[in-house]
This record gives sequence, C-alpha cells and structure tokens, in this order.
Amino acid sequence: MSIEEWIIAFLPGAMRAATPLIFAALGVLLAERSGVLMIGVEGAMLLGALFSIVVALLTGDAWLGFLFAGLVGAAAGLFLGGLTVRLPTDQVVVGIAFNLVVLGLTSFVFRLLGPVGVYRIAPPIPMLELSIMGAVFAAPPLTGMALSLTLITWVLLFRTGPGLKLRSMGERAHAAHAAGIDVVRSRIVVLVLAGVLCAFGGAALTVGWVRVFTENITLGRGFIALAAVYFGRWHPGWALAGCLLFGMGDALALRLQAAGGGGTPFYLMTIPYLLTLVVVGITGKAVGPQDAGKPYGRG
Amino acid sequence: MRHRVFQRILQAGTVHRTFALTLALLAVTFAALAVAALLVGSAPLDVIRSLLEGALQGRFRMISTLIQTSAVVMTGLAVLLPYQVGFFNVGGQGQLEVGALAGVAITLAASGPALLVIPLSFTLAALAGVVAVAVPLLLRIKRSSSEVTTTIMMNAACIYLVLGIITGPLKDPAAFYGTTHPVPNAYQLPVVPGAVGLHIGVWLVLAITIGLHLVMTRTVFGVKLRAVGGNRPAAIAAGIPADRILAIAVITGGALAGLAGGMQALGVVHRVAEGWAKPWGFAGISAALLGGSPLGVVPVAFVFAILETGARHMQAMTGVPVAVVYLLQGLPVLTFLGLRATRYFTR
Repeated sequence: MSIEEWIIAFLPGAMRAATPLIFAALGVLLAERSGVLMIGVEGAMLLGALFSIVVALLTGDAWLGFLFAGLVGAAAGLFLGGLTVRLPTDQVVVGIAFNLVVLGLTSFVFRLLGPVGVYRIAPPIPMLELSIMGAVFAAPPLTGMALSLTLITWVLLFRTGPGLKLRSMGERAHAAHAAGIDVVRSRIVVLVLAGVLCAFGGAALTVGWVRVFTENITLGRGFIALAAVYFGRWHPGWALAGCLLFGMGDALALRLQAAGGGGTPFYLMTIPYLLTLVVVGITGKAVGPQDAGKPYGRG
Repeated sequence: MRHRVFQRILQAGTVHRTFALTLALLAVTFAALAVAALLVGSAPLDVIRSLLEGALQGRFRMISTLIQTSAVVMTGLAVLLPYQVGFFNVGGQGQLEVGALAGVAITLAASGPALLVIPLSFTLAALAGVVAVAVPLLLRIKRSSSEVTTTIMMNAACIYLVLGIITGPLKDPAAFYGTTHPVPNAYQLPVVPGAVGLHIGVWLVLAITIGLHLVMTRTVFGVKLRAVGGNRPAAIAAGIPADRILAIAVITGGALAGLAGGMQALGVVHRVAEGWAKPWGFAGISAALLGGSPLGVVPVAFVFAILETGARHMQAMTGVPVAVVYLLQGLPVLTFLGLRATRYFTR
C-alpha cells in the first residue's frame, strides 16, 4: 500500500482497533500491579459492551452509554474484589467462572431486551475537530481518552505516593501491610477502578466502534489486553505499545479479509499471543508483580 | 441453620462431599434457572422439566448427554491432575482443539484398517495436546513463568491456528465455511456391540477415570504427586524429583485434553469446523474444581452435560435462551468458592 493509503486508512483503523484494548489493558495493569490477577477482564469488557449500547440506544446519547458502562464495570470490580480480595478465593478460577457467567448473562439480557429495540445501530460518538498548525483533523475522542489515561496511569503508578503504595501491595503484600497500608481495602478500590477501565474498553468496542452488540462480541479481546500487559511487562508505555501492535494486526487482518485473495487472517491473529510467549520466555520471572495471584490473608 | 448445613457439606469426606456437593450444585443451578425463567415469563417448573427432558428423555438424548459428560470428564481430568502438583492448566480448550484437528487430519490422510488408524488418530490427538501444553510447561520449569498466563496465551494461539488451517490448507472446498472434510465412515468411532450404544471413546474415558483414581490413591506416584503439590521444598528434601513429577502430570493433562478433542471429533462431530467446539475446556476447569478428585469430576460433568444437551430443547419449548447455560456453569463455581472461603469452612 502507498504511504497515503497507509496514513489515511490503515493507521486510523489500527488506532480504532487498539482503543478498546488500551482501556482494558490499563485496567488489567492496575489490578495486577496491586497484586490481583485480572482474568475477569473479558467478562468486564463484555458487560461494558452490552450496557453501553443498551443505554446509548434507550437514551439516544452515546456518551451516556459509555459512562453507564463505567458504572456497571465498577459494580463488576466490586464483585470480583469481594470474592478474590475480601474472602479471599482463587483469583484465576473466579476470573474464569466470572467470564462464563457474564457470557451467559449478557447474551440472556440481550435477548430479553431485544423487543425494546436493542438490536438497532447505536448513535455514534461525534469526532473531535482538532486544528493543528492550520490543518484540521478529525480525532476520535475515545482514542484520545485512552492515550491520556495511559499517561495518567504511568504518572500515578511511578510518580505519586498512592502509586508507590499500590505497587508495594503487588510486590510484597505483607510488607505493605506492615507499612500501614490496608491491603484489602486498597486492592478492592483498585479493582473497582480496573472494572471501570475494562468496561470502558468494552464500551469503546461497541458504542465507540462497531455500534451494535452481538453475543460474545468481545471474542477474546480481553485476553488480548491481558497479553498486551504481559507483553509490556506491566509498564503502561510498553503495554500501550503492545495494544497498538495488536491493533495493527487486527486492522491488517480486516484488510486481508476485505481484500479477499484467499489468504486467511487467522494465522496473523496467533501473532499477539506467540509474541507474548516469546517475551515471557526471554524476560522470564521476577519482572511481574511478585505477589500477583497470591491470596492475601490477614493474620 | 443454613450455614450448619453448608459446613457439614464442606467438611464431609470425599464420597459424601462429592454427593452433597452435586446436590448443592444442582440447587444453585436450578434456582438460577428458575429466576431466568421468571424473567422470560415462563413457569420455572416447565423450564426445568424441558431441560431435563431435552437431556435425559429417550435413548438418543441420554446417549448424547453421556458423550458430553465424557468430554467434560476428560477436560476436567486434564485440569485436575496438573493441579495436584500446583500447575493450573487453563489451556484445556486450546489443547482440545489442536488434538481434534490432529486426530481428524490423520483419518483424512491415512488408509488402512480402522483397528490401526483409530488408535493412531487417538495417539496423534494426545500428542498434539502435549505439544500445546509443552510450551507453558517448559516456560514454567526453565523460566518460572506463571503457567496461568502462558496457557491462556497458548489457548488463543491454538484456537486461531486451528481456524487458520481449517479455512486454509485443510478446508473442504465444497463447504462455504471453514471445515475439514468429514472423517471417513470407516474411522468414525464404532459403537461397542451390545452395550447401550455408546461409542468406544466413552468407555475409554470411564477406564481412564478409574485408572487415574487408582493411580492417585493407591500408588507411590500418587503419593509423590500430592507431596510435590502439597509442599514442594519438603518433597525435594525427601528426594522426590519435583520437576519430573510436575512434567509427568502436566504432560498427561495435555494428552487427556488432546484426546478429548480427538474423541469428540471422531465420535460425534466427524469433522473440525468453525465454531464446532463447545467450551469444554472451560467447563473442565469448573468440573475439576468442584469435583476435587477423578471420581468426583464425573457427577459434576454429568450436571454440566445435562445443561449443555438439554438447553436446545428448553429454548424451543419455553423461550429461555441457550446462552443461559454458561451462566449456570459459572454460577455454582462462584458460589462454591465463596462458601469455601467463609469462616464456616476449616481448611
């Protein structure tokens, strides 16, 4: 493809595909930095994807739908936090069971709400008109939001006191406790935030991009976000790079599919996961949060 | 009063525990189903009855429920065995799908007596499952990488690889969606003569389950397995080669998941197509966790299979959508975990 085609068609496509991943990856990153594995990201995204579109269609306002997704995500985060942090229970099993439950729940609710008009196309989120050096660009606001949130997450994690506390919980929960941090409460707060971000990711997929909901619309994108975080070794910048890379793969696969030509896009879709395995293999242990995945019990 | 009952359930011995748990699981499942029925506007009892009818009424339905059970038992064992040594195999779904493809591919390429080709196909299916689990296993042993991460990555990679192959080199050109050619009649799993009409795979699963039960309860290997899983440093100090025990358990797990795929492909679906696989791998995780032992996996798998096979009939009769099944497979797990973690349970 020519340079112009690349800039006009491919890059925006890649950014659009990456945006849901960035939101979700930030959620995963925060949760895992605080020491809780966020396998439930897929379910949280799916919840956001459904409820954003429902509210957008019922109110006619896409932004309202997007915000409502955040509310549902907060509830999901609280639920996951209650189970995996407060009780505590096995984070992996809860995550997987949560994903199954949400897959059933969203498909069920979608069918129930069908007659109310949820099968239609949602109103779009209007583009932002940016003028940079005289030229006017139309920028998708959600992509801008995702990029700014990445920066905010980085500053929060590595340049502020609460960020330091958050990371310390993920590395040595008991030491953090000894230092006066209420690990249980803080982790639940972080999980609520993570839930909001993951649900925003789902909403960015539906109201922000395809504007319809279908059963299991996220199709493993939560796991791609998970891959991006592992690929990026739990650093917001590198996780963002992972999301962009995987977004490009997604856009390329879509182009291949549209072009016909007999090639299948599916081999391409194994690349994010294989790349992540390679990165995990090269960097090995001790880079990820030490206490991620371990239940923290007091006493 | 209520928590007393739960306390008794959770503290009972294995046989009791399994039986009581299955009942508790059924109660949670049917309560959730009743709520779903009310939301759709159907009578809860009608919905539950249609689900059970769809799964258990008549020979044909009963057989498909038992075949479904065997698939979930296998994926459940594929999680359970590695879990005993502290390896959480989340990759059952991917291992199952590559196993199915490998098993089908050889029946399309080979010619010869079924007596040779079917065992060969099973072996290849198991091997494919082993290859899929080998990467996470190596990364765990050599690089201490969390197998949860790596098996999830392998899952997705395997599923897309299979999709790529069945829409590419192995695609049946006559079909307008991605699918392999059907398995030749000669190599479809035969029904054991005189034995209710279940294909040989189901009987093999039964044998494997009992075999694993004996290995885990009656052999030195079973003791070593629990030693490594229970206290790895102590096991190593006692001279048990921990990594080797881990590797054996994980490789067996991968082989079981791969074999599950091969059996489903050769015994039921007779091809690998887009979207052919139900989420057996994930149901297996729930079954392993709830069952807790090779024999315990069986009743849980049976309940899940009833949900799976009865759901279509339920949707047709009452309008409660099939998708509700996933809800019903996940909810008991969350309930069980929640209960187990409360102070009424002594670990």
